Order: sequence, then C-alpha cells, then structure tokens
Amino acid sequence: MSWFSHYFCFLFFLLLTSIACFAEDEVNLLVIVVDVNPIWWGQQAQREPEFTLSKCLDGVMVMGNSHMALTRTNKLAVIASHCQDSHFLYPSKSLGGGGGAAEDTSSSRDGKYELLAVANSAIAEEIRNVPSKTEVRGNSTDTLLAGSLAKALCCILTIYSVYPELISCLGQVIKAAEDCALQYMNFMNVIFAAQKQNILIDACVLDSDSGLLQQACDITGGLYLKIPQKLALAQYLLWVFLPDSEQRSQLVLPPPAHVDYRAACFCHRNLIEIGYVCSVCLSIFCNFSPICTTCETAFKIQLPQMVKPKKKKLKMPA
Amino acid sequence: MDDEPERTKRWEGGYERTWEVLKEDESGSLKATVEEILFQSKRRRVVESHGQVRLGMMRHLYVVVDCSRSMEDQDLKPNRLTATLKLLEGFVDEYFDQNPISQVGVITTKNKRAEKLTDLAGNPKKHITALKKAVDSACVGEPSLYNALNLAVQTLKHMPGHTSREVLIILSSLTTCDPANIYDLIKTLKGLKVRVSVIGLSAEVRVCTVLTRETGGSYHVILDESHFKELLMLHVKPPPASSSSECSLIRMGFPQHAIASVSERDARPSFSMSHLDSGTGPGLTLGGYFCPQCHAKYSELPVECKVCGLTLVSAPHLARSFHHLFPMLPFLESPVEQLQGSRFCEGCQGELRDKSAYVCPSCRGVFCVECDLFIHDSLHCCPCCIHSRAAL
Repeated sequence: MSWFSHYFCFLFFLLLTSIACFAEDEVNLLVIVVDVNPIWWGQQAQREPEFTLSKCLDGVMVMGNSHMALTRTNKLAVIASHCQDSHFLYPSKSLGGGGGAAEDTSSSRDGKYELLAVANSAIAEEIRNVPSKTEVRGNSTDTLLAGSLAKALCCILTIYSVYPELISCLGQVIKAAEDCALQYMNFMNVIFAAQKQNILIDACVLDSDSGLLQQACDITGGLYLKIPQKLALAQYLLWVFLPDSEQRSQLVLPPPAHVDYRAACFCHRNLIEIGYVCSVCLSIFCNFSPICTTCETAFKIQLPQMVKPKKKKLKMPA
Repeated sequence: MDDEPERTKRWEGGYERTWEVLKEDESGSLKATVEEILFQSKRRRVVESHGQVRLGMMRHLYVVVDCSRSMEDQDLKPNRLTATLKLLEGFVDEYFDQNPISQVGVITTKNKRAEKLTDLAGNPKKHITALKKAVDSACVGEPSLYNALNLAVQTLKHMPGHTSREVLIILSSLTTCDPANIYDLIKTLKGLKVRVSVIGLSAEVRVCTVLTRETGGSYHVILDESHFKELLMLHVKPPPASSSSECSLIRMGFPQHAIASVSERDARPSFSMSHLDSGTGPGLTLGGYFCPQCHAKYSELPVECKVCGLTLVSAPHLARSFHHLFPMLPFLESPVEQLQGSRFCEGCQGELRDKSAYVCPSCRGVFCVECDLFIHDSLHCCPCCIHSRAAL
C-alpha cells in the first residue's frame, strides 16, 4: 500500500475512535468470509494481474487488524470459502489448543501489537494450506457460501456463550465468483437463523451482482456494496464496513440496493409477478396445472356449475 | 392428561420416588448426576419430527383467552391474565416467524359472553397492540366455551378448504356457562374440520377432554410458567394436515418493492391501502409494494389486496416455511471416546468437552451439544452437508 493510503487510513482510524463509545466490557465480533474459489481467482490473475488473491488477503488483514485495534476486547474470525469446503483461517485449530506455544514462533519483529502479528501470520500460514487440503472437482466458477456462513454462525454462537457481554456481531462476506442457484434454500435458512440471532451480514462484491447476498443484507440489516475498483478493496472495507451498527447511523453510507423479491417459478426459473402456489409443498408455478410436479398431489379444480336448462311446459292450444 | 379415558390418573398410580434419581459416587459427590441432569435438560429441546407427513402450512388460528374471575388469581405472577397476555405476545411473534402466510385472531370470553379482540389478520403488530391494551381489562364473571367457539366458527367456516382451521383455548376457570348443548357444537366442529386444543391453567376439565379428543386437538394443563411457555410454543409448529383437507393451487402475487427518493424526477407519492386498517388517516408516501394486478399500494407484506383480493407475499416468506417441509434427521449420539480422528466440532471449531458428540447420519460430521441444538432449532441444515453439491 502506498504511503498515501497508510496516511488516509490512519486519519480515518482517528475519526472512528473518536466517535466510538468506550465501554470496557463490550465485545464486538467480526467474522470475515473470503471467497477463495481457485478457478475464479486463476481467471482473474489472467484478466488483471495487479489484483490477485494475495492483494485481496492483504486488504482482509488490514480490515481485521483495524477491527482488533479499535478496542482491546474486539474479536476476529476469518473463514476461507472454497468450492467444496470452508476453512477457518483464524483462529486456526493449531492455535486454539496451544496459544502460548505459537506466540514465540511468530513474535513480531517490527514492534507491532502482538495479537495483530499472530493473526496475520496465522492467516498467511493457513491460506497456504488451503489449496493442498481440498481438491477441486469440476470446473465450476460458483461458490457455496451457505456452508461457510453456517459454520460462521456456529462459531459466533460458541463465542456468545463464552463472552456473555457480546453486543454486536458482524458477518462480512467478500465475494468474488457468481452465485450458485442450487443453494437457495440452505442460504435462506442460514439468513433467517442469522436474523433471529441479530447478526448483521454485510456483503462486498468484487465481480458480479449477487441476488442472494442482496436479499441477505436486506433481511438482516447489513450493507451491500459492489466495488467499482478492485484495487481499492482495503479502502472500501475500511470506509464502509468497519464501523459497527451504532456508528453507521452517524455516517452517510452507500444507499441500499433495490432488492428483487420476486419468486422464480419452479418450471422455467423465470421471475414472475403473479403465480400459483401449491398449498402442500409451497412450490411456485407460472401456469395452472392439475398436478403439482414436486409433491405430485392432484389439485381440486373448481369447475363451473352446470345449469340444467329448465324444461319449458308446452302450452297446449286451447 | 391424555385422550384415552382408560389411562390412570396420576393420583391413582404409585409413589414416585424422586430421591432415587440422585446417585452419589464413591466420594459422595453428586457432580456426575448434576452434569447428567443439565445435559438432559439441554437435549430436551430437540423435538422429534413427524416424518413424511403432510403439514397444514396455511393456518387460520383463533386464540380464545379466558378473562373470567379466576384469571385474577396470583399463582402466576403478577396475576394469571398479565402473565398469559405477555406469553401470548411472544407466541404471536414466534408464530408469524414460523408460519408467515398464516393468520391469527384473538377472542376473549367473560361474563358468559364472548367478543372478538382482533379479527383474523396476518400482521403481528395489530395483535400485539391489542394484547397490550387488554391487560387493563377487568376480569368478571364466568367464561362461556360455547359462545367463544361459536364466534370462532362463524369466521372459520368460510375459510377455504386447503387451509387448516384451528382454535386454541386458554382456560383457567373450572366452569363454563353455555346457552345450549355443547356436545352438539362439538359435533358441528368435527363436521367442519376445526381442530380445537386447550391449555388449562387450573385443572383438567372433562368437557375439554371430550372437546379435544373429538376434534383431534391436544389438551394440557400447566405446571408453572415455564411449562406454560413450552406448551404454547408447541402450537407454533404446523400441525399435520387432516386427511380430508383439500390441496389446491393458490393464486398469489409477488410485488416488487419500489424505493423512490424525492430527488428522482418521476417519483410520485401515492396513498397506501393499509391506512384503511390503521385508522391514522391517509398519508402520502413514496415507496411501497404495488399489487401486480390492480396496482394498489401497500407498505408491508404479507397482505391480502383489498381491491382485487389477491394474496401478496414475497419469496422469503415462502422460504421461511421450507424447513418444515424438509425436516432434518436428528443426529446420532455417540460417546467421544469412540470417535476416531480429531476431537474438534466441525461447526464451531471448538474442542469437544461433553461426554458425547453428535454425528450427522449423511456426512458423518461431528458436532458438539450446543451446535447440534442450534442446527436443529434455528439453522435447519447441516453445515457440512451443504458443502457437497450432492445434498442440494
């Protein structure tokens, strides 16, 4: 990062700490989910060699460090979302058991705050292990975000039970590849669970707009932003996503995106405005059909009443 | 309290030796027993699913609250009426969370009469305001089961056949004052396929036992306030649909949310139809949901369009009910010592501290007790299974 960005971030930091409320017992948790789909990042390296996965992770580390430096009691977790699996980059399993042992191996050489140095080295170490741990099956360019978010929620809940003073939780998703349309139901389940636990989900989208994440941010009350310039990822993260929910009311943030809540019909996957819903399985159809294709119930069709023509009495000639 | 009349009552059975539950170990400490009891209480909340049974997803439920003199009794703090209304507010919230396309109405009964507190509606705010206001009402006289059920049935019998018709009665009095034979009304209810359930606050009353047995509902009597809450929450889950309910295709609209700001050129303020309900007077607003058929504006969903009669919902409302239709299998319990591999919970990445862990039957992922509870209560999908595309 250039010296100008450093300076700018420092100024912004000062601004934030001045408007942050200093309550010692409050614990804010930030969980960052990074999309590390290797196929998309590989294609990206050929399209734009200046912005690679390592630059993206630099931005994530800046964000994580800033969050932890804001208040002593803030906590951080970072998850990498791969094609078929998700890995916790920080806190990593090797660190969870023996925290003391790892610290002397990665003691900071430049006088950085101990916790930040540990976090950075853990993230850098684990991300190197990720490609070796999972194999890439197929060449799909979409990511399964629902699984990573589900693991993030479980992690948040555990921390909730350990630290009862937890007041706010932010889940941040940095998404690169496209949506996987098949995971709609699981994704919605995860979103409703997050909404119930008062966890806000923010989304920072690098490439193409994602309808699922727009709905997620709308339902949970988070922010959705599609970044115009990928190189400035760290700046956008710090400007827009670092303040927590109380501070956001005092800032002027990007306006909410228009969310398309129309349903897609099950037969053609078109978005429809008026449709027919099966009362048994709640599947949506665009045209009336006598049998539901999902649950195979036969529907009762209201036939128009047949009116019997009245027999007119023939008048007998007198 | 059960449906079969032959079951022995609690006072007819033998003594329950509660002191035998606690067992001391060699050093005389009760630690193991206490941990076991805590563990069991955590597990109790995981309710078993019905399996492959058709559920009634669109529900019309009337809640009948007894406001007779016995509700002033102070065995529930501060008195029965306040405690009941407070729990009902929580019930209404939870009900609309799990059944977003259903409707609820509230009826009160006192002084041998019954009156509607709120009509059948799909908006939780109205019910909660009415319940909050009802705390101040006086509790006089005797309740009337017949009048309350009659009032509920008058609306329920016009509901379409594919919806479920239910009545939940919260009865604290031991008497009821009816103008006609209630057994005839029970026969009518059975014919109209209305399912009546009762939660008793005092004791078991025979007429309620017959009522619930004939109509297919459940009857429970509370032990204390937390048991009351549990019994209420049992009614939040959609009940199995009766075999004679019809299945049909319901025509619904999915309106777009129009957000407009004053600075846009063609932003036109318009009246919203929901002011007809709230009584605050018409107001001009910029954004809202427009009915796709008649373009009437509404501020919230789900709602039934007053102009053209189309039910308006949004896709997430239907998605909220999907987990009832595809219920999760309960996880298999296995002791931690028998597990091969790492002793880490796949969900929260924490160490497995309890004596048993839970294994998902399809992906063999291991989870701790809290993650298992969270997965079955709120998440409704296994975090490891949803990673594999085969499960989609």
